[in-house]
Amino acid sequence: MHPVFSSKNGLLLYLAGWIPLGAMLTLVVTVSGRFRWTEAASVTVPATFLLACVCLAPWYACRSLPLRSTPKEKLIINHVVAAMCATAIVMVFAHVLASLLSPVFPRLSQGFHSAGPALAGMVDMIYLLAIAVYYVILAIESSRQAELLSREAELKAIKAQVNPHFLFNSLNSISALTTLDPSKAREMCIRLSDFLRASLRLGERSSIPFSEELALTRSYLDVEQVRFGQRLRVRQDFDPVCSDFEVPPLLVQPLVENAIKHGVATLADGGEIAMSGQRVRDTLRVTIENPFDPDAPATRKNGFGLASVRNRLHARYGPAAHLDVQVDGNHFRVMLSLPCNIEPTSSAEGHALP
Amino acid sequence: MTIRAIIVDDEELARQILHEYLRSESDIEVVAECANGFDAVKAVAEHKPDLLFLDVQMPKLDGFEVLELIGSDVAVVFVTAYDQYAMKAFDAAAVDYLLKPFDLERFRTALQRVRRRLGEKAAQPNPADLKAAAQPPGQHARRIVVKDGTRVHIIPIGHLDFAEAQDDYVALHSAGKTYLKQQTISSLESSLDSTRFVRVHRSYIVNLERVAKIEPYTKDTRLAILSDDSRVPMSRAGYLRLKELMDKG
Repeated sequence: MHPVFSSKNGLLLYLAGWIPLGAMLTLVVTVSGRFRWTEAASVTVPATFLLACVCLAPWYACRSLPLRSTPKEKLIINHVVAAMCATAIVMVFAHVLASLLSPVFPRLSQGFHSAGPALAGMVDMIYLLAIAVYYVILAIESSRQAELLSREAELKAIKAQVNPHFLFNSLNSISALTTLDPSKAREMCIRLSDFLRASLRLGERSSIPFSEELALTRSYLDVEQVRFGQRLRVRQDFDPVCSDFEVPPLLVQPLVENAIKHGVATLADGGEIAMSGQRVRDTLRVTIENPFDPDAPATRKNGFGLASVRNRLHARYGPAAHLDVQVDGNHFRVMLSLPCNIEPTSSAEGHALP
Repeated sequence: MTIRAIIVDDEELARQILHEYLRSESDIEVVAECANGFDAVKAVAEHKPDLLFLDVQMPKLDGFEVLELIGSDVAVVFVTAYDQYAMKAFDAAAVDYLLKPFDLERFRTALQRVRRRLGEKAAQPNPADLKAAAQPPGQHARRIVVKDGTRVHIIPIGHLDFAEAQDDYVALHSAGKTYLKQQTISSLESSLDSTRFVRVHRSYIVNLERVAKIEPYTKDTRLAILSDDSRVPMSRAGYLRLKELMDKG
């Protein structure tokens, strides 16, 4: 999309930007042709307007001739020829206008020859300047796009990530159960598979119903329950109204995983994870609370889950969503709030690429 | 000879599988089981075992901290799920380690190594150095654990005023008290955040936040006066390092 037309006030701003240029052209013609300024302006104002329209065109040329991949000769020839054509168009227009206006300003058509070269030079310069500006805009756009793409790649990597510590510890529990309690071992295999399958499947989608996210979290907790036994206690209170809200996948589960890893797992006697969710006006509010040991030995990758959830919320909703953390002595609370949305949001909506 | 062993893991099922594998080993007797680091340190002092199966990530004290506190008379087999940095440290120290889940055969190989180690009574690497080696790059110690008789002290890193080398020990000065720990000052230095702690002398590390003023001492050296009036000598090079950090901050 042309940058001038990509925003609501783009065209107005663009034309406003031409006012000083038009004034400059008027000044040049006034001085070099020894006119009164009203005489000069009668030609230069319409000519400036025409030039403004003409200068919209090189955007497309710049886009099809990228600075980096186009041979220099081709680049120069193309733009110089275009600049000459543009200048010719504006000059012919100016001359015709000058002669048409000769009944009103008789001096105009005679004196215009002396002003011609200066005007042509200015027009040519302005056109080339427009090309330079367009290339700058293109460069900014491509760097922004690269950032967006790299962020998306990062998100994909996060989605595909299953915490190896969790995985191997769970497999170890299964290994222990095979002789102690074979049917429980089988049950845990199934729970673990459910969780892995769901996280792979849901990670592919850009948004899922909140109820599916909760089911995923539940299957994760089922596995952890076997590992931690009595040490892990869970209390949940979700308003059924929230079930159909569309949310990005793996938003709640990583937070619960954090609550276990940095919370319950650091306590010898374990603790309770309290989760709740309700709709408050147009937002979905989710709260996850857990006790933790403030003096616990440092766990690796501290805050990784939080940062990833926060980044994804920001990428999707901007300032409309947030994640707040409260630490109160040995109590940790994460509060998530995001816009309620019943309709599935497509991923293209979040990261519109031109 | 019976080998007396203690199992340390915070997950019950993980302890049970070790029990099960050990059932067929007639020369090994499990004298205690612990679910966290503190209990492990206590149990080791009480039972004086020959062998310790030790998980790394546990409540209260992690596996490396336990190792630091129990001295080096015990053969230790680490049992862990996944920790790329710790594995490097295990390898370097030639202490055996088991990756969960493991089979009986791998477990028996570890026991063979343990029997050989106990037969040789070979010198173990210093556990504190091991802990420093297991530190992921870019991460620093958040606390220091010291044992004083039967008591365990945990010094949060911000409470450490300065450290002083004393032969094979470092004297850790924190809030007017001094704790002795078996560790080289270089390995302590490498585990600390170099933007907060400076090696100002061959024998001294100082907490930058505690330095109140600097006074000349001898021709080439200066004294750092700390906020609690402790005096720490600084070599010329040490003073320059400190000054560079202070200018940056």
